[in-house]
Amino acid sequence: MSAVIEVNNLVKQYKGAKEPSVKGISFSADKGEFFAFLGPNGAGKTTTISILTTTLNKTSGEVRIAGYDTDKDARQVREHIGIIFQKSSLDPQLTAEENIRFHACLYGMYGYRPTFKLMPAEYRKRVLELADVVGIGDALFKPIKKLSGGMQRKLEIIRSLIHTPDVLFLDEPTQGLDAVSRRSLWEYINDVRNQYGTTVFLTTHYIDEAENVDRVCIINHGEIAACSSPEELKQSLLRQELILDAPNRAELTAELTAQGLSYTMNGHVTVSYQGSAQTIINKLQTQLTVLQIHEPTLEDAYVEFLGNTGRLAA
Amino acid sequence: MTEHVIRAAGIAYPRNVRSTDYESAQEKSKVFKELNTVITVMAREITVSLKSPAMLIISLVMPVVMMGMIGGNLMQNMAGGLGFQLGSFMLIGMAINMLFMFTAQGMTSLIDDHETDFTQEMLVSPVSRYSLVIGKIFGSMFGAILSMIATLAVGLVMGITLPVGQLLLILALSPLMCLSGGALAMIFIGVIKNRKVANMAVMFIVMPQMFLSGVIIPIQHSTGALMVLSRMMPMTYCVDLARAVVYSGSPQYDSVVMFNPVVNCLVIVALTVGCLIVGTYFFAKSEKVR
Repeated sequence: MSAVIEVNNLVKQYKGAKEPSVKGISFSADKGEFFAFLGPNGAGKTTTISILTTTLNKTSGEVRIAGYDTDKDARQVREHIGIIFQKSSLDPQLTAEENIRFHACLYGMYGYRPTFKLMPAEYRKRVLELADVVGIGDALFKPIKKLSGGMQRKLEIIRSLIHTPDVLFLDEPTQGLDAVSRRSLWEYINDVRNQYGTTVFLTTHYIDEAENVDRVCIINHGEIAACSSPEELKQSLLRQELILDAPNRAELTAELTAQGLSYTMNGHVTVSYQGSAQTIINKLQTQLTVLQIHEPTLEDAYVEFLGNTGRLAA
Repeated sequence: MTEHVIRAAGIAYPRNVRSTDYESAQEKSKVFKELNTVITVMAREITVSLKSPAMLIISLVMPVVMMGMIGGNLMQNMAGGLGFQLGSFMLIGMAINMLFMFTAQGMTSLIDDHETDFTQEMLVSPVSRYSLVIGKIFGSMFGAILSMIATLAVGLVMGITLPVGQLLLILALSPLMCLSGGALAMIFIGVIKNRKVANMAVMFIVMPQMFLSGVIIPIQHSTGALMVLSRMMPMTYCVDLARAVVYSGSPQYDSVVMFNPVVNCLVIVALTVGCLIVGTYFFAKSEKVR
């Protein structure tokens, strides 16, 4: 697969700052990949996404989006991307539809017309369809001020996708949204990925949002601390645990020792292991009364990785 | 129509045509895309203005204060011995001053856009920054022309009339004058991120020009620093050009008009282009270079 996002040794130091906010990071994302940047506040996520979307100059390094250099071919880069900023970038003085129309015309999709009715039928059909899909059909002609935070976010998604970008950048898109809005928003983004093969670059500090991505990079203090699939990340950072108990505990622990497994006694017998739980269980002869498999979450791995090493951003 | 032209020019032009035709069509489509951007940004500004009753009221009331009160007082107390009618002289000056004042004021909406993060939406779009700024200036022109018309109406009430033909000519020149005022304002507003400071900057742009550009007071006899400053103000040439249009063929022409209209046009264009380049550079840089 060809890389749609290529970042090599990216450095950003803000004016007057004592040290860089982004310290020579490198990564890439392939076409159609769902890529997440996970990190605490102040880790360098927004700085990185701002550089990738050409809204901020870098100090050094190389960034290519869809094959175009962000410095030399900024305009071409912009043609290939859509972005949802951390803070809403809707015009509060316009209606929802006027915001979409403004965006579509700025991207050269249609010539400007002063009203929705005067816009080409293709535009009207697309906007109405998209509005129905994300459930804001009734609010399309209302001023932005009268829309809820969730509706505004959905509107931003419609707007960012109307020119069918190759790469969609999402900078903490669900911040401030309720659980229902968050879920419907992710469902829609997944539909878009499946339908158009859009590469999605997400920055978030909500760990659960990064559970379902193809690849996640943990960034902290401007450096990439780890980068792999969520599953690999969990496996490499955390051992899984089996929680067992039996009427004859002594026999159980003797069997575990014979398998070369270490255990702790915390009410039950807790066994740390790597690999397959099934293999361990199959070898046990002792009759079990308790059998639980504790699968670590990405959050466990994240906290373990950053917290235990004292590397959490201030 | 724009859409038709854009499509005809080939935004999604087929790849199998001869390369020279393709490149030519792509170039052409770029031009129309930028034109469409100017129209879109302008339309957005006008839409926002129409949704703001306060802005419309101010556009209509300000001429009453400027022309009716300041102008009226000057006419009653200082009109003697000038060799020309101060009323007409001032009406033309005030009309152009309104174009400058409201265009510059309109440009401060860039600060609001920055505060609501709407600037980001504009800057991440694949269009020229010049198109965005020019669209913004032309959008601000709506309020400016409204107040210019209100100024002329106040003049009418005061018994000062201008020939319709000349008025239409001034109207035709008003986009250039607004562009000039807006471009000048961009130099300051491009680097300012605060509404209060921006409002003060507009005052700083408008007030000195009102006195130094010959809006209400003739400046033919200015000398020294005041003369130099007046020649540096774009509004000096805009006001002079408008007066050249109105006084053309009249015996008062030489005592009212300072420069040849061609010189005025050339200076306005040069200053506008210069200010536009510098202002847009500051604007784009201040957003991107941090």
